[in-house]
Amino acid sequence: MKQLATRYNPHDYWLLPVSILAAVLGFMLASAWVTQESRPSRLGLLNPEQLGRVSSGPIDLQNQSQQLTQEVSKLRAEKTQLENSIAHQNSSTSTLNQNLQEAQLFAGLTPVKGPGVVVTLSDSKKAPTAFINDSIIHDGDVLRVVNELWNAGAEAIDVNGNRVVGRTSIRCVGSTIMINYREIASPVEVRAIGDSKTLIGAMNLPGGVLAALRSNDPDMVQIDPVQDMVIEAYTGSTSHHFMQLAESGKS
Amino acid sequence: MKAILIPLIAVLIGLALGLIVNHPWNGVLGQYLAVASLAGMDTVCGGIRSGQEGKFRTDIFITGFISNVLIATLLSWIGDKIFIDLYLAVALLLGWRIFTNLSLIRRSLVTEWHDKQEKVRSAKALAKSSNSPLPGSISAAQDAQNTF
Repeated sequence: MKQLATRYNPHDYWLLPVSILAAVLGFMLASAWVTQESRPSRLGLLNPEQLGRVSSGPIDLQNQSQQLTQEVSKLRAEKTQLENSIAHQNSSTSTLNQNLQEAQLFAGLTPVKGPGVVVTLSDSKKAPTAFINDSIIHDGDVLRVVNELWNAGAEAIDVNGNRVVGRTSIRCVGSTIMINYREIASPVEVRAIGDSKTLIGAMNLPGGVLAALRSNDPDMVQIDPVQDMVIEAYTGSTSHHFMQLAESGKS
Repeated sequence: MKAILIPLIAVLIGLALGLIVNHPWNGVLGQYLAVASLAGMDTVCGGIRSGQEGKFRTDIFITGFISNVLIATLLSWIGDKIFIDLYLAVALLLGWRIFTNLSLIRRSLVTEWHDKQEKVRSAKALAKSSNSPLPGSISAAQDAQNTF
């Protein structure tokens, strides 16, 4: 340091103002620095024009949506744990809790496991015929398979990781299929928990839902019985804006 | 060498200060702070360069810093309003200038170092040649006469 001081050249008078403003610059940089944790909250503070510019499109939103659904699953699991733990206070709370858990089970808000079947629908890998529409799977195919499985006594159905609940919609958006507002693509795996034999029988009905697909290309459909599988909980929203609780029997 | 080191240390100090202070900046401002920092970087690099060249003027530097930051922010803001990515133009230009300034700084530093090496070498050569068998007894005037 002494060396620096004794070698101070009057020509270096510019060092002081530059260093001061360099420190200001460092301060500004630190404020503008976006770390991984602060990113979501900072993105939320922007107005729409800036947001359109900043978010790197679908990838960013996908990451965000993934994080949010994971959080939702975690919170719901925690809620179930809490419900179960406070239910042991007396018999009425435990009955109430039992009803609650069964309702949640029926509604698809909890992960479930059991035996069942996995139906895999994939786009045809053969060269397309005159009607290319016949070589790909559509929302209608998935819809019919799900419908048939319910009819055959399935108790929980999941399509490519998306739990099918009362509000689930399966529709075609351009070239992709959307379920629970999430895009899925071929191969589509429909997993159902229930009696394997009955479910497989329903799938294989002659002239049934899979007949058309199979006549085009048998490899488009694959059915496997499963001894034990886990189907995850529904991770979508359960909020309602229009419906309210009503008394039964009144129109 | 200390020409870049001292401002660099100053930037690091500023960074550390900024990270320690918990700033509740509005997200809107934060976006523009990025472009403003770029403008600041350009001005600081320009300041170092002109300091190296001996052409530094404090008033121009300080007013330049403030005006560059403000203009960069203003252009980005207008660009947001009229849906033209003006911030891109600002970033491009500032980036270019930073590049140019840094290479000029590098140039002057290397020439400085090179000249210093030359000086050291020539000083050594001079010292060697004046090492005659009679150490230090010949005065400068006598020496001049002798060499004549």
